[in-house]
Parts: sequence; structure tokens; C-alpha cells
Amino acid sequence: MFIDVAITLLKIAFVFGLVLNIAGILGWAERKQSAVMQDRIGANRADILGLRLFGLFHPIADIVKVITKEDWIPPGGDKFLHTLAPFLALFTALAVFAVIPFGDTLHIAGRDIPLVIADLNVGILFVIAFGSLGIYSVVLAGWSSDNKYSLLGSMRAAAQVISYELALALSVVGVIMAYGSVELDDIARAQGQYVLGIIPYWGVIAQPLGFLIFFAAAMAETKRTPFDLPECESEIIGYFTEYSGFKFLAFWMGEFIEVIAVAGVVTTLYFGGWQVPFIDSQGFFVPGLFTIPLPHLLVVVIQVTAFILKVCFFCWFMLLVRWTLPRFRYDQLMGFGWKFLLPLAFLNVILSGVIFMSFEG
Amino acid sequence: MPTLVIDDQKVTVDPGTTIIQAAKKLDITIPHYCYHPRLKSVDMCRMCLVEVKDIPKLQTACSTQVRDNMVVFTNNQKVLDARRSVLEFLLINHPLDCPICDKAGECMLQDFYFQFSRHTSKFKEKKQKKHKVVNLGPKIVLDSERCILCARCVRFLKEVVGTEELGIFDRGDHSEIGIYPGRPLENNYQGNLADVCPVGALTAKDFRFACRSWFLCQENSICPGCSTGCNVLVHSSERSYDKTLRRVYRLTPRDNDEVNQSWLCDVGRYGYHFVDDPDRLTAPSLKRGEEYVKVDWDTAFREVAQRLRGIFERYSPSSLGIIPSPQLTNEDLYMVKKFFNETLCITNIDFKLPGWNQGQGDGFLLKADRNPNTMGAELLGLSGIGPQAGEIIEKTRLGEIKALYLVGSDPARYLGEEKIASALSRAQLVVFQGSNYNYACKFAHAILPGATFVEKEGTFTNAQARVQKINQALRPLGESLPDWKIILGLALTMGYYFPYKAAEDIFKDIAREVTGFSGLDYKKVGDKGIKLALSGG
Amino acid sequence: MKIVGHKLSFLENIYLFEIVRGLVITTRHFFYNMFFHIAHLLGYQQDVEAAVTIQYPEQTIPVSKRWRGVHRINTRPDGSPRCVACMLCETVCPVQCIHIVAEEHPDPAIEKYPVSFEVDVTRCCWCGMCEEACPVDAIYMDSGKIPKAGYSRQDLVYDKETLTKEVPLPGYQRSLNPPGAGAPKVNPMGL
Repeated sequence: MFIDVAITLLKIAFVFGLVLNIAGILGWAERKQSAVMQDRIGANRADILGLRLFGLFHPIADIVKVITKEDWIPPGGDKFLHTLAPFLALFTALAVFAVIPFGDTLHIAGRDIPLVIADLNVGILFVIAFGSLGIYSVVLAGWSSDNKYSLLGSMRAAAQVISYELALALSVVGVIMAYGSVELDDIARAQGQYVLGIIPYWGVIAQPLGFLIFFAAAMAETKRTPFDLPECESEIIGYFTEYSGFKFLAFWMGEFIEVIAVAGVVTTLYFGGWQVPFIDSQGFFVPGLFTIPLPHLLVVVIQVTAFILKVCFFCWFMLLVRWTLPRFRYDQLMGFGWKFLLPLAFLNVILSGVIFMSFEG
Repeated sequence: MPTLVIDDQKVTVDPGTTIIQAAKKLDITIPHYCYHPRLKSVDMCRMCLVEVKDIPKLQTACSTQVRDNMVVFTNNQKVLDARRSVLEFLLINHPLDCPICDKAGECMLQDFYFQFSRHTSKFKEKKQKKHKVVNLGPKIVLDSERCILCARCVRFLKEVVGTEELGIFDRGDHSEIGIYPGRPLENNYQGNLADVCPVGALTAKDFRFACRSWFLCQENSICPGCSTGCNVLVHSSERSYDKTLRRVYRLTPRDNDEVNQSWLCDVGRYGYHFVDDPDRLTAPSLKRGEEYVKVDWDTAFREVAQRLRGIFERYSPSSLGIIPSPQLTNEDLYMVKKFFNETLCITNIDFKLPGWNQGQGDGFLLKADRNPNTMGAELLGLSGIGPQAGEIIEKTRLGEIKALYLVGSDPARYLGEEKIASALSRAQLVVFQGSNYNYACKFAHAILPGATFVEKEGTFTNAQARVQKINQALRPLGESLPDWKIILGLALTMGYYFPYKAAEDIFKDIAREVTGFSGLDYKKVGDKGIKLALSGG
Repeated sequence: MKIVGHKLSFLENIYLFEIVRGLVITTRHFFYNMFFHIAHLLGYQQDVEAAVTIQYPEQTIPVSKRWRGVHRINTRPDGSPRCVACMLCETVCPVQCIHIVAEEHPDPAIEKYPVSFEVDVTRCCWCGMCEEACPVDAIYMDSGKIPKAGYSRQDLVYDKETLTKEVPLPGYQRSLNPPGAGAPKVNPMGL
């Protein structure tokens, strides 16, 4: 019993340590990547004893700055909810990682350790549920700020998130149909199959349209460009205008954690999760030809690394999208969600149903 | 009555008038240096040459008397050429240092050069070097190189003051203005020399290098130095973004034939420094224990009103004493009278502190009574309704008067510090209202900062019973307010409302209620003032 | 109003391909620049620029000879400022950033000198009119400097000592009239 709790705590420490660190580095990556994409150099001035390290100290400097800033609550605002909102944002974003499997079951010392913090049988529904809960932080932040523009910003954000939730959930239906389970571990495991013997049966192969819809809707859920109307750092007042200091940082971190969460979910649903093509518990193999056995621990390490690399790739890709596409206008945003993505998601469900039925038949 | 034509305009003047005066009637200004309307003409500068028909040579406008049917040209080519030549001569030895000359911007040489000459110098020889920065006395500095030897200064001291300290020494281009050895300028009117000098030769030490003339704003006012009430211009500036530069820079006389002609005595001229003195009171403050705490006006009014009411309730109106100052305007004094005497029925009001009019007069402009509004205070009835101001202080010492309200007055100056200390320390409440700190403030329980004469509008009544207007030149320093506004605010806090928005409204009531002022109109007081018709006065 | 534009084709209209096209462009820039950044780090391909930015305080771009930088005050041979406190620069300054306090100079030939000469560079609009107005060539803007940031407003109000210590950027100095006792060569009255 005690050892189970210890193992779970260890997994939590591993996942959260990883996620929070990547989130911190994303702050740096966003600056540097945008700079490199735009033929600039990017932030490189923060130094410790003359060591600049490509501006890697900027996140540290940011945190020092943000922590020493005044934590200001609007005099007319709701003190409790104003404080609660940013932590809710962090919590809902982090909670998603509880169900994301980051590796195959680890057999060690006679124990079977599934490399997922909580192998819930509702899996993907849990992810979507916590994605929806994120709206609370937005609405509470806007409302408790005692600023009508913040409130309007939060309404805008809530409308957007709720609108895209539909398309998001519907696009996942296709994946559930393809793998016959809502449990993420099952989905990841099922992606270890091969189509025609050599093509990995990843979600993106089974659900190409579903992937596009899911990715677009998930980007909108994270409230990042081109869907960053709720925040609009400089132009329209967003829901966290009245936040400063560490609470502002919490929103900021929450956004990056959401990015990682989306990357993790996309990886799990559509890009094989921790699966590496042609490597399974038996070792490296070429289908139908030969198999080179690999030690179990090495395979698990390769798989976990592969998962992390896939997540990093999607983080990079989302930054790339953010620095490539301009922002939607609000009517375009709602039109895109309701008139394009949602019908497309329905179409995808029907098409998937028809195809899978015909294959089974 | 000779009628003449100047530049095609007909004008009829008195016999004996000079061309320059006749031209002035037509608003034609003939350029001049040595001519001054209040000094005798000497034809020294030759700047005012004009052509008179049928006289072959040009004539000096300042000394040529008009004849009937005279035809004068002040602006034809011949005259302009002559002016140009005269300017060329005057500028031969001039150092041309306008940028560092204090007169620049108000220098007649500079003005007329740009207006009429704009020549390039043909003078190839070496310029004559003369004395620079010569101390003529405690207040005036001479730069001989800039002097054009118009002798206005010499004549002013001879004809107006009569002291004749200055003279012209040496000959030809060595001529210089100077003082006689061992006899520096000491008279009380030397400040006028800087005004009288048309160029940058004589400058006032008080104003020297303090400010360029073009940064100054001018506002008509009255000198608060004595009961003559000389008309002055207040030169002030708030030119820069830096508020510390808000300052009055100088007072200069303003023409008024009835009062001060064109002159101003040094006592009045240099007496404005209290306006920007560091001892100005800038915020209402209340005594808390031994400390003074700066508060806002509302708090100050509430505290003073509450304590005054407390004394009223415990004693009677006769336990209050008010000592206003004849330095205040008619409007301020009227408010004192109206509120304290007529509304609160206090009779212990008097402004005549012992020795209040015992200054040193000089028989010309400076009067022994150094208060600009004694006559006004007298006419408004701020004396003789109760005990004398000296007695009020004495009664305070004896404890008969519990509360003393000082409006701008400085009793310690007349009665000595000891007497004031023994009297004021007995009082239960001392309110000081005024612009500058004085000894009585030490004992005040409440200090209400008042505005000075440059910071408010109003009227003074001088010793000849002439009502003259002062205008606001600067915003009041800090939070200070015009005295009438302070009393208005205090009255309102105590529950009495007076419908006054501006000094003009109060003046209307003065004209309606106070005998002597009856029938006066604030607008008609104008720049030169109106003399009151006093019966038996 | 005339709207210039082209009708979107079907492929453009569904955005997806256009989005991919945009992503391709940015990705190309990313990898091109990344390649040269890494190459520079390893010491290769130094002649190829991977970024167009300039690392400002260490690197500067040369400015025009007429470029107006932070003010400086020229000095007389004895080191005192040439300024005669005539306040013409203060007068002509459109943003009132110059503030001079004049005082009597012990030498009657100089007569006037600035006790304090302050230029508030936060207000300055770099128009150079003070240079033109100065009758004694005292104030020049040829230091070639951009004002440094300061921690307070007062840090950016340069006083007489600071301005006197400024030196012209080599090769940029404006011509100076022969030093005299503050005497203008071209006098303001044109005589």
C-alpha cells in the first residue's frame, strides 16, 4: 500500500516537474523562436556573472521580477475569487496530465507500474471536462476584477471556449470509434498496431480530418494566437487586465501548461502516444522480417523519450503557428467555430462511423 | 489754438505744444531717446528729427513748438535717412552685446535699429573702450559702453529728485556718465534711473540677469508700500514647467498724473520681495500639541468655526477680538466688517495698532503711513466701533478677550514681541490669517494662508481717497486664498452664506452700502482709479 | 473608395493551404536562421548574417554628420563654458527643455555667465534650434550620443558640468568660431 502511494507520488513528481520546467522554458522558447523566425536575435541580455546562455536566464529574471512586484487587487473586486481564479487556471491545466500516459507499463521488481498517474476509465472525458472547467478561472477573473472591460473580456473568452468545446469533443468521438475506448492508455496502446503491416495505426492515419479539427479547436481552447481574442495583450482589454505580479504569472504559466497539455493530448490521441514505430516490448523489429530484442528498461526509456520529444515538437509547432498566423476577428472566430468546425466535426463522426462500419462489415 | 497737419492728419493743440506731443495726440510715435514727457527737452539725441514744410533743415520734434498751419512729415525719405544716420552714429561705439544686455527686448536702441535702420556698420576704426559694470550705488549699475548720452538720468535726478548725483564727464567720444567721487547714489528714487534709461546703460541690481524681459508678463496693480498708492506694473513669470520659477521679478511705475506721474520710490519698488519669500504661508495648518499639522481648507474651517462657536457659547461676542490690517483690499476689509461685526456682532474690531502710521515719509511719493488702504479701512468703519487695537491686545492679556482673530496684521511689529507673547499666550484661541509668517503666528492655533496683492483682485483706497484697482498677476502660492474668500469659507462653515463669487460682487455691495463709495462701478474704476467725493473730507 | 484586391480562389478560400504556405515560409526562416546561428556558434559561416538586428550598446550604426545628439557646451581656453547666459536657446527652445540661471561674472568684459545650465533631455525634441540661436557657439549637439536611460527624471536633466564634459564625436565636430571672451563673431544685429 505504502509503496503504491510512493510510486504514484514519484510519477506525479516526474510529470509535474517535467511539465512545469517545459512551461518555464516555453517562455524563453517563445521569445527565441519568434526572434529566429523573424530574423532577429531575441532576448539575450539577462546574464549571471557575464554568462548569457542565449537568454536562458530571462525566465528566471522574469520570475524574480514578477514575484517582487506589487500584488494588487482592485478595491471594488472580490478578494477571494480574484485570488482563486489564477490558481484555478493553473490547476485545471495541470490536472489534465493526470490521465495522459507517458510510457508503456513498466515491469520492475515484480511490479507492474503503468506510466500514467491515474489510469481513469473515463480518460478522454476527464481531459475534456477539465478543459471546460478552465472557463471558471476566466469568468471569475473577469468578474472579480470589478472592471467592466475585464468582464466583457471574460465573456468573450467564455463564449469562445464553449463554442470550440463542441467541435473538440466531437472530433474526439472519431478517435473513440477508431480504438473503441475512452481510456487514454488503451488508445495509446491501440496505436501500436500497423495498417497493411507497416504503417503505424496512429490516430492521424485513422482520423486525418479529426486531427485537424481537434488541433484547431484545441488551439482555440488554449486561447493563443490566432485565437487569442480573450487576452489580446495590448489591443482589447482581456480578462486578466487587473492582475499583476505572481497572479498574472499564474495565468501566463497556465497558458503554457495548456499548450503542453494540448501537445500531450494530441500526441496521445493522434500521434501514437508513447509508441515508437517498430519498437515494442519485444524490441526493435521490422514487420515480417526480423526482431532485435532490447532490454525492457531501454524500451521504456526510448518510449518515454519519444513521448517527450513528440510533446516538444507540438509545443514548437504551436509556437510556430502563433508567430505565423494573424488573429481572427471576433465574428470570424465564432463563424469559424460554429459554421465550419462544428459541421465538419459532425461530418467526420458520420464518415468515420460509415467507414468503420463498412470495414467491420 | 494752432492747427497743424502731421503726416496728412489735421490736429488742433494748445499753443506751446511741441511737435512730438501733437503727434502723440494722433497716435504717431516719433522715435526719440533724450525726450521724456516729464523732463525738459534738451535736443541731445537728434533722433526725433522731422521735416517741417518750408524749413530747409530737419527740426527736432521734441523742442519745436507748433505753429498754425504747420505741415510736418515724420516718415518721408528725408526723415528716414536722417534717422538711419543718427542710429549709425549712436551705434559707432556701442558694444552690440544685446544677447547679454539686460535691456534687450525693451531697449529703444534695439527697437529703432530693427525698425528704421538695419544698416551694416561702416565703422572701420577701433571702438572706444569705456567702463563697464560700474557700481553707481547700492541699486544701480552703469555700463558706459552702451550709453548713448541722452542725459535722461542726469536730468531726472536734477529736475525730479533734485539730488544731482550724476553728471557727464570728459569730452567727445570719451564722455561718460558718472558720479562725483565719494558721492554714490543714495536717494530713494534711483530705481527710476533704470526705467528712464532708454538703452542698457543703467540697470537695476535687483533685476539684473534675473530674467529676460520677454519672459515677463505684466499686470496693472497698485504699490502696497504706502498710502500714496502709486500705480505700478507687476512683472512676473511662470514661464517654465518648473513651478519654483513662479516669481514676481520687478515692479515698474505706471503713468498716472494724479498719483505718481511716472515715478516710483525705491521702498515701494523693492518692497515686493515678501511675495516670494520663503516665510510665505502656503497651507492651512492647525496646532496639535506643539506641532503644526498641514490640513486642507475644509478641516481648517471646521476647526476654527467649531472653536469660535465654543467661545461664543461659553462667553459673549465681546470675548472675541479682531485685528484686521490696512494692507488688505477694500473687499477683504468689507468681508471682515460684514461677517464679524454685522453678522456675529463683535465690536472689538480695530486696525489701528499703536504706531501704525508712524513710518518715515519723504514728502514726495513716500508717505509716513505705510499701508495702502488706510483710507479704505477708515471708510469701511473698521475703527472706532469698539476699543482701539492696542486695547484689544491689552484686554487679551487681561483675559477679557478669549479669542483673537488676526487678519493680515502683525501686532508684534508695533507693540514688541514681549507684549504680544504675554497677551497671545493667554488667549484660548488665536487665529492668524495672512500671507507671511510673523511673530504672532507662534501663538496661533490655526494658520490660514492668505494671498498677496499680486495674487488677488481688489481695490485699494489711497490717502487722497482714490479707489484704485489691483489685478491678479500670479496664481496664489500653494493653497493660499484671497482673504475675502477665507472669511467667506469660514462664514459658510459657521452657517452664514454670502453670495459673492468675485471681488467685483463685493465691490458692488460696498458701493451700495458704504457711504463714500456710493455709486461707484467696479468697471469704471479702470486702470487709473476714481477719486471718491467725500463730504467734508 | 477603391478597393484593390483579388478574388480568392477556391483553394485560398478554404484557408488550409494558405495556412500551410505561411507555415512553410516561417519554418524555412526558422531553420535557415537556426542553421546559421549554430554555424556561427561553431565558428563557421561568419560572413552570413542570420539576423538583421544590431546589438545596440555594443554595436552602433554610423550616423550622419548633421545628426543631433546629446548637447554639449563648448569651453573657453581656460575651461569655463563659453555660454554667456543670454538665454536665447531657452527662448527659442520649442519644448522649454533648457533652463539657465544667470549671474554676474567677476570679469566685466564677460559680465554674465550661467550659474546653472540644465537641459532636460526627456523633454528635448532634438530640433537643434538652440545650436542655431546661440550667438557664441556655446551649445552644440555634435556629441553623437543618445541619452542613456536613467533611474529618475533628475538623472536625465543634464547639468552644466555634465554638458561641459561632453566631447564631440571625432570627425563630427561642427566648425567653431575663434574662441574669444564670449564675443560673437557674427553678431546678432548683423553689424
